[in-house]
Amino acid sequence: MKSFLSLIIAIIAMNIDLFAAEAGMPQLDPTYWASQAFWLILVFTILYISISKFYLPKIKNNLDDRENKIKEDLENADKFKKQSEAKAKEYSFILEKAKKEVLKIHFESKSILDKDIQSKKDSMEKEIEKEILKAKKEILELKKNSISSIQSISESIVSNIIENISGDKLNESSIKATVDDISKKNINKYL
Amino acid sequence: MASNPMQQFTVHKIGPEIKIAGIDLSFTNASLFMVISAGVIILFLFLGSKEKKIIPNKLQLITEMFYTFVAKMISDTAGSKAKPYFPFIFSLFMFVLFCNMVGMLPYSFTVTSHIIVTLIMALFIFIAVTIIGFIKHGFKYLSIFVPSGVPAVLLPLITIIEIISYLSRPVSLSVRLFANMMAGHTMLKVFGGFVVSLGILGGWLPLSFSVALTGLEILVAFLQAYVFAILTCIYLNDALNLHH
Repeated sequence: MKSFLSLIIAIIAMNIDLFAAEAGMPQLDPTYWASQAFWLILVFTILYISISKFYLPKIKNNLDDRENKIKEDLENADKFKKQSEAKAKEYSFILEKAKKEVLKIHFESKSILDKDIQSKKDSMEKEIEKEILKAKKEILELKKNSISSIQSISESIVSNIIENISGDKLNESSIKATVDDISKKNINKYL
Repeated sequence: MASNPMQQFTVHKIGPEIKIAGIDLSFTNASLFMVISAGVIILFLFLGSKEKKIIPNKLQLITEMFYTFVAKMISDTAGSKAKPYFPFIFSLFMFVLFCNMVGMLPYSFTVTSHIIVTLIMALFIFIAVTIIGFIKHGFKYLSIFVPSGVPAVLLPLITIIEIISYLSRPVSLSVRLFANMMAGHTMLKVFGGFVVSLGILGGWLPLSFSVALTGLEILVAFLQAYVFAILTCIYLNDALNLHH
């Protein structure tokens, strides 16, 4: 490494020696100063004019256009967002209204149904009651009829029994009176 | 053999001699590379602004980036009053940048490595800024040499220092660019010379240095163009917005 470095130093020294032969900065040679100044001014003036008159307005135009477009798009997006929000509100409002209506209809139909059911139930009950009453009446009638038939049967049975036991024929009216009397006493047990 | 690292800076005539009123204005290699740089800028801007697209292509994007970069630089340093000078500063930045970058190509010539070129630009800026300052503020512009809040005892001294610093602006502005470009290119040439003289065995080390230095020089080329433009903006700011 050391030998390498010394080699480099030696070469630098050699080079410096070489440079010394034609030392000096070409920049400080005034031969072409006027030419450089002239061409610099000329070239830079042309460059300046073409940039300021042509290219910069073009670039600026384009940048402005883009900015405007972005602004416009953002505004549009905002507008659409507001619109959609309004629509969503409207939608939810309609939905709410519909829900209320559904509830109302539900209640109304329920009450109508209830009423209907109630009235039908009532009429049914009335009919059933009527039927029951009728049946009761019939039963009562039947019972009454049966009582009279029972009496007549028991009268005939009694007269038969008495005839068979005593051989006498009792007078019918007295049998009837007795049966009547007994049946009146006991009939209430079965009615 | 071009082993002299300063030889790359020599100016020589191309074509016929042009003499106007006894002054030699011949077209030289320096003039050629000025024309090439300006041509590259114009071609670049032409291609970059040819198509007007909402979504830009690469070239358009780069030109727009340059535009916004310089616009932001001006508005940050010199404020909104400097807007009329935007085309000038943009042209200046582009010209210095492209001269530096074209100079980075092998066998090319670096226009900005000549003190006369940078001095003319710096002097033009200096004189223009001074004139703008006097037009905008009249004789009040001289108050730039008298900073506020300085004790009366120190005022004469400070004023002299301020005047010297103001007058040295063109020198510092021009020498900064010229010296940076010259030093960089000289160094590249020296290391290039080492590669040749050390041969295939030892040449790799200076070669790698050369590669690294090329990267550094590209950075310097951009940076110096930026510094040149931003210092112009700062001088312009002094002339437009009198703070003192």
